[in-house]
Amino acid sequence: MKQSKDPFEAALEEQEESPPDSPVGEDELNSQTPNEPQNQTDGGHNLLVDDDDYDDMGPNIKNPSHPSSSSTPKLHSTSVNANVATRATTKNKEYDDDEEEENVEVELSKFPSSADPAKMAKMQAILSQFTENQMSRYESFRRSALQRSNMRRLLVSITGSQKISLPMTIVVCGIAKMFVGELVEKARIVMTERTESGPIRPCHIREAYRRLKLEGKVPKRSVQRLFR
Amino acid sequence: MINPSTGPSSKAKVQHMMYGFGDDPNPLPETVTLVEEIVVEYVTDLAHKAQDIGSKRGKLSVEDFLFLIRKDLPKLNRCTELLSIQEELKQARKAFEVDEDKLATLE
Repeated sequence: MKQSKDPFEAALEEQEESPPDSPVGEDELNSQTPNEPQNQTDGGHNLLVDDDDYDDMGPNIKNPSHPSSSSTPKLHSTSVNANVATRATTKNKEYDDDEEEENVEVELSKFPSSADPAKMAKMQAILSQFTENQMSRYESFRRSALQRSNMRRLLVSITGSQKISLPMTIVVCGIAKMFVGELVEKARIVMTERTESGPIRPCHIREAYRRLKLEGKVPKRSVQRLFR
Repeated sequence: MINPSTGPSSKAKVQHMMYGFGDDPNPLPETVTLVEEIVVEYVTDLAHKAQDIGSKRGKLSVEDFLFLIRKDLPKLNRCTELLSIQEELKQARKAFEVDEDKLATLE
């Protein structure tokens, strides 16, 4: 059971798991990355509109050299930023969005308190060695988020109360995203156990969900759900 | 999940998220649907439990959610991080607005 594992490290292990098991999958991955732009545009646009808040600070804490970081406090080494930026410009993806975001700088009066120079240096060292595939996956990991408006609507309908504060929405979105991560990672583990490869199938997710329930990571209902 | 939305649908977001966490770049649609359903159920159960806890205190607050995930350290750390980020952004924006006012009065 993960204690305080960096989500990046978990994702990295994820990456290392899949290649030996799915030689065909790897080819699929490489040949299917052109499809990414279609999806990534939406993600990028949405970032500018919706997740401005989140993505502004997020990269600062964990990964200052992320291509989509729009706020770049002076603490971060601009050289690494430049490296990632040049790599981004050479790719024909919607890193156009990223460049726009990089030009928008937000002046911060204080530095993120959780910034750890050693950790940041480690992150930069790791990120600089990413393959294109890994970078694209990492970017998806960082940029993806559930929509706050949808989450708020869902919470209102569940609680029946209109007073859902913004921090609550943010927190629940974060929790839900990590839950998706747990599901997907466990599903991959299940796949390696069964020595299967390719995209994750619903049976893997169901098995992963069952195991998470056994681990107690899924809140149990006191009353069974009768009608769906 | 019925969510009328302009722009990328919730399914597209879940797809990106799954890819980020280790799935194929193009996950199977049935898998995405299932994951979305499970997440909705998870959030529902979580919110119900939070409401149960919050009703004792009066109204529902963020603290209730944090209490529920207290045993799950990665989630707890992530949530506290998100909250501190949001707080910092709020401060930064406030400072920005104050500067703008000053500029306006100067000119």
